[in-house]
Amino acid sequence: MIESMMKTRLFQWVDARTDAGSIIRSQLTEYPAPRNLNYMWNFGSLALLVLVLQILTGIFLVMYYKPSAEMTAGGFTVAFDSIERIMRDVNFGWLIRYMHAVGASAFFIVVYLHIARGLYYGSYKGPRELLWIIGVVILLIMQGAAFFGYLLPWGQMSFWGATVITNLFGAVPVIGDLISEVLRGGFAVGDPTLNRFFSLHYLFPLLLAAIVGGHVHALHVVHSNNPEGIDIDHEKETIPFHPYYTIKDAFGVAVFLIPYCYFVFFNPEAWGYFIEVDNFVPANNLQTPAHIAPVWYLTPWYTILRSFESKLLGVAAMGASLAILFVLPFLDRSKVRSARYRPVYRQMVILFFISVLVLGYCGHSAPTATLKLVGQIATAIYFGFFLLLPFVHKFEKTKPVPERI
Amino acid sequence: MKLTNMKQSIRLSVAAICLALTVPMSASASEGHGHALKDANIQMDHDTLRKGLEVFTNVCMGCHSAKYLRYGSLMAYPELGLTREEVDELRGEHSLMDGMVSELTPADAIESYGKVPPDLSLITRARRGAGNYVFSILTGYEEDPNGKIPEGNYNIYYPGNRIAMPDPLAWMGHSEDETAEIEGQAHAVASFLTFVGDPHQFERERIGVWVLGFLFLLAFVLWMLKREIWKDVKH
Ligand code: HEC
Ligand code: HEM
Repeated sequence: MIESMMKTRLFQWVDARTDAGSIIRSQLTEYPAPRNLNYMWNFGSLALLVLVLQILTGIFLVMYYKPSAEMTAGGFTVAFDSIERIMRDVNFGWLIRYMHAVGASAFFIVVYLHIARGLYYGSYKGPRELLWIIGVVILLIMQGAAFFGYLLPWGQMSFWGATVITNLFGAVPVIGDLISEVLRGGFAVGDPTLNRFFSLHYLFPLLLAAIVGGHVHALHVVHSNNPEGIDIDHEKETIPFHPYYTIKDAFGVAVFLIPYCYFVFFNPEAWGYFIEVDNFVPANNLQTPAHIAPVWYLTPWYTILRSFESKLLGVAAMGASLAILFVLPFLDRSKVRSARYRPVYRQMVILFFISVLVLGYCGHSAPTATLKLVGQIATAIYFGFFLLLPFVHKFEKTKPVPERI
Repeated sequence: MKLTNMKQSIRLSVAAICLALTVPMSASASEGHGHALKDANIQMDHDTLRKGLEVFTNVCMGCHSAKYLRYGSLMAYPELGLTREEVDELRGEHSLMDGMVSELTPADAIESYGKVPPDLSLITRARRGAGNYVFSILTGYEEDPNGKIPEGNYNIYYPGNRIAMPDPLAWMGHSEDETAEIEGQAHAVASFLTFVGDPHQFERERIGVWVLGFLFLLAFVLWMLKREIWKDVKH
């Protein structure tokens, strides 16, 4: 199909003026990929798909959404009303809105698995350090975009979530209050906050699209890693991306869309995990909800924050837990990439995955003394992983790595 | 425990996630502030919804609004399917585009009940327990065992037990043979409000069945194609 498209006269005309053909050949159809990639390598293309879905559904939402916290009858606001109008009166508005809300969670599921893949098979190690670092930038911008987006429906969780998080910045010494004031556009979360979050919510995904371009470009310079984690012979051990990985990615897309559409059509709230129950209550600055928790994808970091008595320490730890991802490629000194041949690292990274899940669980639940302790232990394991990493190569007996895949 | 590969760690993680998911799910089922909610057995068939609409307009709308439900929608939603004449009678002076708003002003409500009754358009989505919660509240009026809260304001399912809503279906002190009648009204209005919370839910699920069916087929075809294309590659 792609070949026949490239033979058309229209394409030839464009090609003569842009060299599009050689870009498509080198970056897509003939891009040499290792032949032993497993299904964990599907999540990159899925992340791209979800990003496109978010941008497309977002553009349609913006056509009807109104970012205003002005009160309307019944304790609602213009913003809240506009979303209910999308849900009830706009043709297929419910579909667009649910695709967007479920898409946000789907995006994080896919990207977290994509990152886990990179950790397990050592894809962050040289020569792919910069590729990994760009990925961490993408993660941070995604989290920002989702956080800004969650304010837009102007429900109770929108409002109080934004209040709690913007408050955090107040803990930063000296300039803290200034930062939270600039974020909010005032002393408290209100109409100006909604407007600037809306603006940033539109901007961040477009930024993401540009950075994802850089991510893919960096990938095509240093090439894909593979489950064995070894450097491969680009002549003998690769297969052209098309048709091998185009069909495999297409199959992955179909499999991904099954749970995605299940949630969109049958269970959009996902028992309160994707859209929280309290967010159907209009924002009310006089009534604090009994239990404020961010949406599930931000809860691991929220637990790290809550694990410290001092607010400043908590904020610092939360920042550090994300920032440390940037230096991961330089912490790990082992020559072997894949956890398949690194017995100690494998146990460590699996424990790390479990600690993130536990952190996420603790951040979602109402705080109790036991959960707090569990969260603190998980926090210790989280950081322990990074602190131990620089020393692992000294005592780890790696298994013999194959010459060829 | 020794974890040998990615597959195994994924399986373990999936198990952990499932475990984590079940806890809040079972918690929400038993939400009711110490009392497990009654199971209302929500039914959204045409007759129940019509009966629920009647209870809503005759009783609840004396105090509550459902401003996101427009009079015109009562005709437009096939699940309700009112005729133009029926809607005209209900709406009086209101236009078809107007939402169903109570005559009770917030100021009057405060004066009479001390609180503004919440809009019910989204009530089943905004409370844990959804329709079961509404049903339980309506049939949850009792005498305060501690004798502190005045009669008619004590509700075992309401957080804190002191509710400003005066027993709308006259549950307190009803006779035995009225039970079925009152429960029927509570059931119908709880079902109606569950429908109003997301009025496109049936259309959504109808379309969803086709979408999922198509996707299973697509996934199967692509899987066959993938096997065919990859059959000569050693990997
Ligand atoms: C006489 C006025 C009145 C009538 C009639 C009335 N309500 Fe209420 N209702 C109230 C008031 C006042 C509140 C606020 C209670 C509070 O917050 O303490 C309320 C609260 C509620 C709540 C919310 C409880 C919560 O969790 O916040 C529900 C659900 C409810 N009413 C359902 C109904 C239904 C269904 C009907 C019709 C069968 C109805 N009400 C009829 C006055 C009324
Ligand atoms: C990185 C991609 C994106 C993510 C992760 C994301 C995430 C979110 C989230 C979590 C919400 C709240 C959902 C809800 O409770 O309903 C939201 C709402 C919204 N987003 Fe996005 N979004 C993305 C891209 C976009 C883009 C590109 C646009 C505009 C062009 C957009 C426009 C909107 C609008 C108008 C809303 C309010 C409607 C609503 O809440 O349903 N989004 N977004």
